[in-house]
Amino acid sequence: MTDQQHTDTQSASAAPAPDSALDGLDDIPHTGEAVEADGTLVQPEADDFGHAEQATSNPDWFKRAVFYEVLVRAFADSNGDGTGDLRGLAGKLDYLQWLGVDCLWLPPFYASPLRDGGYDISDFRAVLPEFGTVEDFVYLLEEAHKRDIRVITDLVLNHTSDAHPWFQASRNDPDGPYGDYYVWSDDDSKYADARIIFVDTESSNWTYDPVRGQFFWHRFFSHQPDLNFENAEVREAMIDVLRFWLDLGIDGFRLDAVPYLFEEEGTNGENLPRTHEYLREVRATIDREYPGRILLAEANQWPADVVEYFGNPDVGGDECHMAFHFPLMPRIFMAVRRESRFPISEILQQTPEIPSGTQWGIFLRNHDELTLEMVSDEERDYMYAEYAKDPRMKANIGIRRRLAPLLENDRNQLELFTAMLLSLPGSPVLYYGDEIGMGDNIWLGDRDAVRTPMQWSPDRNAGFSRSDPGRVYLPPIMDPTYGYEAINVEAQQDNAASLLNWTRRMIAIRKQHAAFAEGEFIDLGGSNPSVLAYLRRWLRPDGELDVVLCVNNLSRFPQPVELELSAYEGFTPAELTGNVRFPRIGELPYLLTLPGHGFYWFQLSERGDEGERRSNV
Amino acid sequence: MSGPVDNPTTHEATVAAIAEALPGWLPSQRWFAGKDREVTGIRPLSWSTILDGDPLLLHLVVEVEQDDRSDPYQLLVGSRQSEVPDVASSATIVDVDGATFYEASGDADLTAVLLELMAGGALVDGLQFESEPGAELTRGLRAHPITTEQSNTSLVYGSQYILKLFRKVVPGVNKDMRLHRALREVGSKHIAEPLGSISGTLHDEPTTIGMLQRFMPDAVDGWVMATTSVRDLMADPSIAPEDLGGDFAGEASRLGAAVADVHADLRSALGTEDADAVELERTVTVMLERLDRVAAEVPELAPYLSGLREAFDAMRHHPVPVEMQFVHGDLHLGQVLRTLGGWLILDFEGEPAASVAERSRLRSALRDVAGMLRSFDYAAQQLLVGGPDDPVLADVAMRWAHRNREAFCDGYAEVAGSDPRDAAVLLRALELDKAVYEVSYEHANRPDWLAVPLASIERIMTEGTS
Repeated sequence: MTDQQHTDTQSASAAPAPDSALDGLDDIPHTGEAVEADGTLVQPEADDFGHAEQATSNPDWFKRAVFYEVLVRAFADSNGDGTGDLRGLAGKLDYLQWLGVDCLWLPPFYASPLRDGGYDISDFRAVLPEFGTVEDFVYLLEEAHKRDIRVITDLVLNHTSDAHPWFQASRNDPDGPYGDYYVWSDDDSKYADARIIFVDTESSNWTYDPVRGQFFWHRFFSHQPDLNFENAEVREAMIDVLRFWLDLGIDGFRLDAVPYLFEEEGTNGENLPRTHEYLREVRATIDREYPGRILLAEANQWPADVVEYFGNPDVGGDECHMAFHFPLMPRIFMAVRRESRFPISEILQQTPEIPSGTQWGIFLRNHDELTLEMVSDEERDYMYAEYAKDPRMKANIGIRRRLAPLLENDRNQLELFTAMLLSLPGSPVLYYGDEIGMGDNIWLGDRDAVRTPMQWSPDRNAGFSRSDPGRVYLPPIMDPTYGYEAINVEAQQDNAASLLNWTRRMIAIRKQHAAFAEGEFIDLGGSNPSVLAYLRRWLRPDGELDVVLCVNNLSRFPQPVELELSAYEGFTPAELTGNVRFPRIGELPYLLTLPGHGFYWFQLSERGDEGERRSNV
Repeated sequence: MSGPVDNPTTHEATVAAIAEALPGWLPSQRWFAGKDREVTGIRPLSWSTILDGDPLLLHLVVEVEQDDRSDPYQLLVGSRQSEVPDVASSATIVDVDGATFYEASGDADLTAVLLELMAGGALVDGLQFESEPGAELTRGLRAHPITTEQSNTSLVYGSQYILKLFRKVVPGVNKDMRLHRALREVGSKHIAEPLGSISGTLHDEPTTIGMLQRFMPDAVDGWVMATTSVRDLMADPSIAPEDLGGDFAGEASRLGAAVADVHADLRSALGTEDADAVELERTVTVMLERLDRVAAEVPELAPYLSGLREAFDAMRHHPVPVEMQFVHGDLHLGQVLRTLGGWLILDFEGEPAASVAERSRLRSALRDVAGMLRSFDYAAQQLLVGGPDDPVLADVAMRWAHRNREAFCDGYAEVAGSDPRDAAVLLRALELDKAVYEVSYEHANRPDWLAVPLASIERIMTEGTS
């Protein structure tokens, strides 16, 4: 900010400059460094930067993609300052391509005071300086697209950081252009039926602002005021934010906290019709101006409510292309612990059909705690007892642990869980480091336990950074079991039997069969409660059937199972990792035996029969 | 079910030849209930020709005589000139004139006809095939028999329907059929919907010989669910049942709620009656007589005799009237199914060993509760039977059973509005009576298991005095 502008703003009103709360953006284009005469903030535009080439065109790519969630901060540090950055991530794209990743999901990398892991965005059009610049992001996109890897990122529509120049302008100048950008009220009595989400830290959804002398509305932290979507200018301003990144070449957005955009008296303020109406507007913009880019809804709700975020099924969906299936994940854990398929089978049975142009996103772990909002109280107590034996393992309504420690580093269970992730309905989202079985550090604050540096090699700082170990943003895991000397990419790439190479092979097999991605899910039930068996059945465009049979032993003990497969009488199951042919399916139930926590993937093939006959000649 | 009159081919000679071969064949069939005595004679009561020509499908009802006892059984008999199907050799009954006649429930081509006839509502040679009002049956499904059935034969059609053929036929509308229809009428959520039936005539009475129900391919029976949990526990007995990954208490509680729901549905569908002091006295007498009978056979019961008599006698002081209603009559974990939609209760036939009159009587709903409580003891100890004495595992088993019995009662009480444990004297007597019956059964059939009911009797006695 120049002195000249500073003086101008000061003379226009006694309030501080609207960007005064922004930190570290002094030499970087950012919102609010200049102000028009009417008080409108000057914002960076996409044309100020280069644009990346697009990835190959395929509008349905997201239905079959393997997603990989990676924290920019945690993946690779290119400049030796101890913090991962966009250039560092770009340097690891060969690894991600080798692994079989189709799309990166980056949690927010925007300018932010980082009081909520970057979800408190203080400028939607600037990159957090420690991660790099907008130009660095365009470079990442360009390099990713060259490898046919797409990139989506989080966008928080619902709220901003209180350091955002919009909020500063709104609180200082109620009659200015931003006066109505947030939800202000003279008292804290409205919308009393909306629950408080962060029960651990917040006592009300209203907070008093002494500057403006009014209360502002916030569904999350009190430093994250909700934007006022009743205001048409806010609605348009947020679409412009999307356009900014889409013009640069981004492939889509995970829309954070999407159920909460609108408020309405007498409701719980979640999933309101006006929220859906706005999402249709956003979607129409994407379809019109940026076809092939996607919207992924983060709506931590029951499946019957979440499907609403796909929009109208008659047109194949007209809101979000994807939504996370939150309740499935804790139930996978519960099913294995209980050695019973019912927790999984039940939630999938309760999951409605989704429109033809949409897909679920499913995951085992992500950067948040293992979320337990979508389980009953009884189930939650159970999950705490089973998976969070130390009170420090709990956070909010969830458990902060990585996959490997949650499963006591049991390779059989790691494989079983991953096999289910890759074969249950939806596009799988891997969490960085889980492919090598990284550990966590529950003694780190907040959710940092699962956000430690990626372990690339046994070298200093796990090969993550060249900096002095003391400068690394979080210490890498160093315990004897999960420490980077034992668990790292380099060692596992060299070991054919490693979890990493196993995961890579399974991803490759998944990609050979579109049935895993787009096939109908048919739960086979069966008389053994410890075995979860299902078919993924897909009619290929050429009219051929692609049928995959997945059988999972949720018990630590070996199990027999009899499967009712008479509809596939005469088909031959071929095991997918080794292409070994199993006995032909007859009219009677098909008998299989599985080792403890074992699983099988079969392709059911009509052609197998001929092969057998030939070999008999 | 009468000998065919208008049919030119009467198959009379064939039926006679089959009946002649049956005394050698019938006792080898699992569903035959008279294995305790020699078969002294078998004569055909009636037969129907369901399919004539090639293949041939006959339905027979035969009277099986075992000295002074005689019971009617039904058979499906098939025969084919060509394309002899792949059925087990144990199904072969007899060869007549070069044609093999076999029990046809395993022949999918022949059993497919039964569903077709029910879907079409046909009357074939004295057999009435019907679908229930409002039920639209899918045609063209093939069936395979399920292997776990004990006293009847059940055929599963394409994972959609299950047809139960009642092997020992009882004149009249079968109790299972009647209760299922009544429960369907009141919209019970915890039954497998009845969809069709096959009936004939026995001793001049219209008689149910088969019942078609919705099949639940996603279901697991309660015994398997419970023993899965016990298996988990036995693998690591240092973990308390409540801390166990495979803890069953949540399921047990939901099961209790489902049973209470079904009891309420049976009351609203078929009403209740009050039992007075005379009726109560009759029940006590039956229990005491059974106790004396069993005690004479099983010396291991001696230490508990006086306590058992006391427990039964105490029933006389139970306040009357006692509410009586239609109940399941033979409720245990093997009679319930866990489906994706919750628990279902199956098989309302009542105790197989009881007489028809006994099965049709109204009972206290507590009889079913007692039956299920006993079943938890059995499930808990199943893995210990036949193994070496292990006090640690025995203790763990007891604790598992205790936890799940309590959870079952909690779930039941929540729905019923009254806690079965409040009627402690009655419930205790019913449990003990059931255990005495088990002692007799195990003594005669599975001596290894005798310890299970005896341990329970000891436990219930001890609990009663503390």
